[in-house]
Amino acid sequence: MSLNFDPSYALEFDFGRGQIRMANASERVIIPCDALLALCQGASEEAVRDFGRRLGTEAGRVMNDRLGEAWQASLETVLEHLGGELALMGLGSLGLERWGQALVLSFSHCPLGAAGDLLLGSVLEGAMQRSFGRDTVAIKLMRDDEKVRFLIAGYAGARKAGNWLAEGVPWGDVLSRLATRGAS
Amino acid sequence: MNQEVTKLQELLARVKRNAALPRTLVSGLAPEPSASAYEPPTAAFSAPAYIPPASEITADEVFFDSEAPPPASVPTAIPPAPVAQAAIDASVDELLLEDPFPSVPPGPSYNDVLEDPLPAAAAGAQLDHEEDVSGVMSISEFSDEQPEELLEDDIVEMTATEAAALPMVTNPLDELSFEDVGLDDKQAAAPSEEEPPASSSRSKVAGTLDEALARAAEQIDLEEDREVPLKTPPPESGPQAAVAMPQGMHAPLAPDIEELLEADILPSAGVRAAVPTAEQVGQTVDLDEARGPSLELDHAETSSVEELEEAVASEELEVTLPGREFGGAYQADLMPPPEARQDLDAHRQRAEEAIAPPPESLAQYPSAVEAQPSGFAPVSAPSSVTTDSYSESVSTVTVDAPANAEFAPELLARPDIGPSPVAKFIRTEVPRPKTFLEMLDSSLSLGSD
Repeated sequence: MSLNFDPSYALEFDFGRGQIRMANASERVIIPCDALLALCQGASEEAVRDFGRRLGTEAGRVMNDRLGEAWQASLETVLEHLGGELALMGLGSLGLERWGQALVLSFSHCPLGAAGDLLLGSVLEGAMQRSFGRDTVAIKLMRDDEKVRFLIAGYAGARKAGNWLAEGVPWGDVLSRLATRGAS
Repeated sequence: MNQEVTKLQELLARVKRNAALPRTLVSGLAPEPSASAYEPPTAAFSAPAYIPPASEITADEVFFDSEAPPPASVPTAIPPAPVAQAAIDASVDELLLEDPFPSVPPGPSYNDVLEDPLPAAAAGAQLDHEEDVSGVMSISEFSDEQPEELLEDDIVEMTATEAAALPMVTNPLDELSFEDVGLDDKQAAAPSEEEPPASSSRSKVAGTLDEALARAAEQIDLEEDREVPLKTPPPESGPQAAVAMPQGMHAPLAPDIEELLEADILPSAGVRAAVPTAEQVGQTVDLDEARGPSLELDHAETSSVEELEEAVASEELEVTLPGREFGGAYQADLMPPPEARQDLDAHRQRAEEAIAPPPESLAQYPSAVEAQPSGFAPVSAPSSVTTDSYSESVSTVTVDAPANAEFAPELLARPDIGPSPVAKFIRTEVPRPKTFLEMLDSSLSLGSD
């Protein structure tokens, strides 16, 4: 299992057939972002979530194929390979933050913008499900021009955090509260 | 008197009337003069304006002399005959009756004018100077020659009063002479009586050398007494060549300024400079004696020339200013003068009385509570209360309470607190998960009770 992500020959463009294939993966379609956003904005939340989970499952599967035993993979390894696969999809740069016990994954330079945050969260949930076999909920903590942060939590923690965020609690305090409550 | 006035009025009217008559007619129609009997055309037209000088004969001599001079000696003064006077009047009337200018109305005749004409006999009678008030005479009456034709301005009328006012001349007609002999004596005597104007004086030729010398001396005295008015010389017209100064003459040299200054500074030698004049003595004010102590200016004596030179040289040298060590500093051990100590003590006492009581602090009881006689024992505050803290970070305030204060404030100090941590930061060490799965599991556990 290589530790470094090698994107060489990750995409194969078959001009004779007019196909784009990813290594060790099925065919890919390159579409404009505006068209994808229009589709996501027109679809329901569940449809977008399902669409995103499918994309994440595919990325998790590829990573697992590259890593072999993903459950033994370290933080950096998972970040590198999962992030590599999402980058090949063109969804941005994946980041990982550890706030105590809380795992925070972030996307930077995503071309979809704020309208694609739901899709991105769903991608992460699908990747966790496919790679590690855990059902997780990605809660968006914050977003600025370049980065969007998602808290990877269980259902209980995600509900509490969602409520606090809805109350206007800063996302740092939400993390502190989750950490304090979890510690106590 | 009334008659004289009337006569004078008549005479005045006649003169005016005659003055209005044309003069050419008289001269043109005048008969040819004859040497034997000359008839003047009219007395009014031929009166010469001749004023005899004072030295010459007067009218009184001519007309009113009782004794007629012989004709040979008096060529110009011939008393007129009565017949001739009548003929003259008659010829005048005839002449006046004729009217050479028909357009012009003829003037009134003598008969018409003179209501009371003088009779010819009376006119030709003995002339008395009191009766003959006209006094108008023609020069032709004194001479056989034909008189000159005179203008009206030349005619002078003289009344009796004017004639009487003239100075009487004692010289008879016999003494009249056209020679200059004796005239000089009269003229010489004249200035004594009536001083001639300065502009008309003419120097006379001295007869002798002594007289000339005397006149010269008098002239010199007059010139010395008389102030010659300063007159600006007339400007020169055009450029003129400078005339070389003759030998021995030169322009005045510039005065020596030093000599003039010395003359102004130094008093003039002699008794006049030392002794004040009478005017100065009269204006002298006596000053009072000095009241203060006598001061004497002590002049530093210089024993030698070298010391004197050094002193002079030191005055010209620059003085070095004191250094920085003297700037703003003063000698600490200086004591106030004894007379100022009392004032200083009084000032300090007033300043202490004027000090306001210190503000009450929230850390102490109000002064009103302390002042109430509620059984509390009076607090004997020290004369000096200090709130100095043991901690260096706390500012210190020292208040000197007056010794005679009735209610001394009690200042309580806050108990000292030693340096101790105010906040405690506890860093929790979370073990870093080895695998991503551990991290994921821990994160999924958040929020689950």
